Amino acid sequence: MILILHGLPPVHWAAAGAVIAIITLLLLFLANKRLGLSTGFEDICSLVTPLPHFQRKAVVSGRGWRLPFLAGLLLGGFLSAALAGGWSPTLALGMFDQRIGFGVAGKFAWMFAGGLFIGFGTRLGNGCTSGHGIFGLSNLEFSSLVTTVAFMLGGIVTTNLIYRVLF
Amino acid sequence: MILLYAALGTIFGFVLSRSGAADYNFIQSMFLFTSFQLYGIIGTAVALTLPGLWLLKKYGRTIGGTPITIDMKPLNRGNVAGGLLFGVGWSMAGMCPGPILVNIGEGKLYAIAAVAGALTGAALVGVLYPRLQKAFHLPKM
Repeated sequence: MILILHGLPPVHWAAAGAVIAIITLLLLFLANKRLGLSTGFEDICSLVTPLPHFQRKAVVSGRGWRLPFLAGLLLGGFLSAALAGGWSPTLALGMFDQRIGFGVAGKFAWMFAGGLFIGFGTRLGNGCTSGHGIFGLSNLEFSSLVTTVAFMLGGIVTTNLIYRVLF
Repeated sequence: MILLYAALGTIFGFVLSRSGAADYNFIQSMFLFTSFQLYGIIGTAVALTLPGLWLLKKYGRTIGGTPITIDMKPLNRGNVAGGLLFGVGWSMAGMCPGPILVNIGEGKLYAIAAVAGALTGAALVGVLYPRLQKAFHLPKM
């Protein structure tokens, strides 16, 4: 299997997992911060709304590391594309294009809907793949085990419904 | 410190981009059980973070000498409901929160719609929090 990005072969899973572990541990050792990225959505909300939910300590106190980290994610994606064969805007979406299609407007609507589920679900569940799946599981937190089983189940059912039943 | 966080995020983003963790096809293949790649990535990350975390907690200090403090996440009904909903979104978009930004960086324009949706979803939770708190027994603010 190859990546949608320039048809590159992926780096080995063990190497990718090791780098993720090192960065997770560095963040704790250097800065005393637990990895968790979906709170970043609340960070951004907290910049534009005075709603008390977004001004609570857990959000505001983490903005100082999370916002630059999120900016780094953008830069990392940009560098990855630029160094692989050049950065250019694209709408390519792999098997979605082959099996579902829907056109450009449909693709954006689909992605907005998917994003709604991601934003609402991660904030209701108090975390995502990084905060629950990697940090929480590694820290043996029961709520992270429950949430990780739930989001894997949600994804498995949805993808199988989409690609083995509907399309 | 801001530069350090940005540098860590850049490396993290680069690896997500090149490993398949920010790739629609790889995410679908994970959920279809047709590729081991994402299970290998997450499994390795947990298998290495777990002992590292144990050692750091035992040593108990950051590089600056301050005690390591980890806020544990509370268990409530939001974990199950929120997890299931997030799983639906992860499948539909083929991205989880970090990779949404990586995809935008790569130039995948549809990821902008995904981040707009995610911000709207997070804002909805904020607005509805008093009601959600009762329904899902979430912690008080």
